[in-house]
Amino acid sequence: MATRTERLDVGGIALEVLRRGQGRPLLVLHGEAPLDPGTPVVDLLAAHAQVIAPTHPGFGHSTRPADFDTVYDLVHLYLDLLEQLPPGGVTLMGLSFGGWLAAEIAAARSRRVERLILVDAVGIKVGDRETPDILDLFNTAPAEVERRRWHEPAKWTPDPDAMSNEALVGHARNREALCLYAWHPYLYNPRLARWLGRIAVPTLVLWGASDGIVTPAYGRAYGARIPGARFEIIEAAGHHPEIEQPGRFAERVLAFLPP
Amino acid sequence: MQAWYLNENPYPFVPPHVLDAADSVRGSLPNRYCDPKIAADLFQEALDEYLLCDDIGINVVSNEHHAGINCLLGASPLILGILARQTRNVRILSLGTLITVRTDPVRVAEEYATADVISRGRLEIGFVKSGGSEMASGNANPIGIVDRFWEAIDLVLKALSHRDGPFSWEGKHFTHRHVNIWPGPWQQPHPPLWAATGDPTTSAELGRRGIVNVMVFRTAEETMRAWGAYRKARTEAGLPEPGPDRFGHTAFVYTGDTDEEGVRVGSKLLWFLNTGLRSAPQYGKFLPGAVLAELAPALYATKPRPGVPPAARPAAGLIGITAEQAMAKGLMFAGDPDSVYRQIREYRERVGPFEHLVLASRSGFMTHGEATKGLRLFAKEVLPRLREL
Repeated sequence: MATRTERLDVGGIALEVLRRGQGRPLLVLHGEAPLDPGTPVVDLLAAHAQVIAPTHPGFGHSTRPADFDTVYDLVHLYLDLLEQLPPGGVTLMGLSFGGWLAAEIAAARSRRVERLILVDAVGIKVGDRETPDILDLFNTAPAEVERRRWHEPAKWTPDPDAMSNEALVGHARNREALCLYAWHPYLYNPRLARWLGRIAVPTLVLWGASDGIVTPAYGRAYGARIPGARFEIIEAAGHHPEIEQPGRFAERVLAFLPP
Repeated sequence: MQAWYLNENPYPFVPPHVLDAADSVRGSLPNRYCDPKIAADLFQEALDEYLLCDDIGINVVSNEHHAGINCLLGASPLILGILARQTRNVRILSLGTLITVRTDPVRVAEEYATADVISRGRLEIGFVKSGGSEMASGNANPIGIVDRFWEAIDLVLKALSHRDGPFSWEGKHFTHRHVNIWPGPWQQPHPPLWAATGDPTTSAELGRRGIVNVMVFRTAEETMRAWGAYRKARTEAGLPEPGPDRFGHTAFVYTGDTDEEGVRVGSKLLWFLNTGLRSAPQYGKFLPGAVLAELAPALYATKPRPGVPPAARPAAGLIGITAEQAMAKGLMFAGDPDSVYRQIREYRERVGPFEHLVLASRSGFMTHGEATKGLRLFAKEVLPRLREL
């Protein structure tokens, strides 16, 4: 299926956007890495929707203005992007870190968002002060992070020796960008949980059953704070159900899109 | 030349099987392996060594690291306070409070001003960018360190030198609306400044600011590159040529009665590199920003890649070094007094004149007795000759 990677000027920022498919717009905010155009889920979604997947500035090989370095900046960038899309409703889907952004945008009640999907999202604090909700991706041994990331770590842990130089540079830039945006408070906004009740659109919270980065219990607590939100588990998937179970994942997402 | 004594006060007494099983000797090793009674002895010995230096004309250096066997000086300003009171003669260098980790530089300025006043103007202030496991221990973002470093320095210096009542600071990294420290420093407008870096870009900025550029366990090549950048930046800014007093070198130094003794006992110092530097990858090469993203292929790949240069972090290449290699690189000066003097003189001829030699002269399992013997011999037999240089 044809993919277009565009550069959209949004508020003076040249945003890299992957576009595929036609019809109902699905704005996808990525997690720790930009959506890989080759990953099967993109085609599965694009068969029935118009996938619009920007790269957060600084991730992958994208540029980031020097004065653009907080989640606040990202949220406003995407509020602007939503305004720029052709008229009509948009389904907003956020994965992991992108789920935090999506929840912020939905709580701000962007008039363009008509449905919200959060996938293994971070962004809120639910546990007590001595119980971290989110695995520390920076201070934890890399092998342990991968063990907790996947349902099947042996199958999915990336092999750096099989990756191109370009992919490895992109991987390092992803880590730098996430660290810049989300080191402290670590991957959450202490105020967001208080305001999730403002979310006024139908919401689906999707979670990998084996996610060890943010557990399903965290996902349930997240969903419970959003009025009317539906919480669904995807079996045999960890933090990335879109990668480990692309078929079942796409089915759930497409079923939730507006007609 | 002047000599400065640094004892990082490591804690090497963790059972080897624990160290072998640990992925890191810093950052994550439980403190149950640090016996406070042994730590107390180590602190007392280190402070006694500093008092000995006060008597024999070697300036003293206190530094800071956190949560590891390499250095017990986590609460660095406390050590500085003790030195300010208990020494009477020598200069005291803080190298330094980790300003990229501390959230309030104004508090750092207060600590420095107080130490300067207690010592009646013998304090010198060193800045270090820090990194590695210190970011985890200090809960500090490893991205943006350089920017934070310079803003912290600017705020510390303004807090130290401002004499006219409260001022406000609303910077990118630090805000403090009502800055007015008491007392101000003894030395006006502020104590002499140092910074430890081998990064040419940072050295260039030190040059423009006239800050002493001290190398800490850097090779001759790295040193010449950094000091070259320092000189060039001054020339380009139309500033006068820097004197040797703007440059310092840190090395493992041990002076024995014989060459055999000097090298044998001095080799114990290499524990710092061979054991004290061992750090888990998440604190080291995989810490975001520790290495340029462009160098990631060499960092992540487990097999060599054609056309990809190695991307080792500066210190990582030193793990496992032998005494002979360390001496050849100018990282260690060891032997009898004549040999130590000759090695330092030759190194100085190689990299260019520097006024300050920081002696890392106790580390690992070296005993207090061995350290004091080496310091006395150095002060008596080597230092007078270095002063002539």
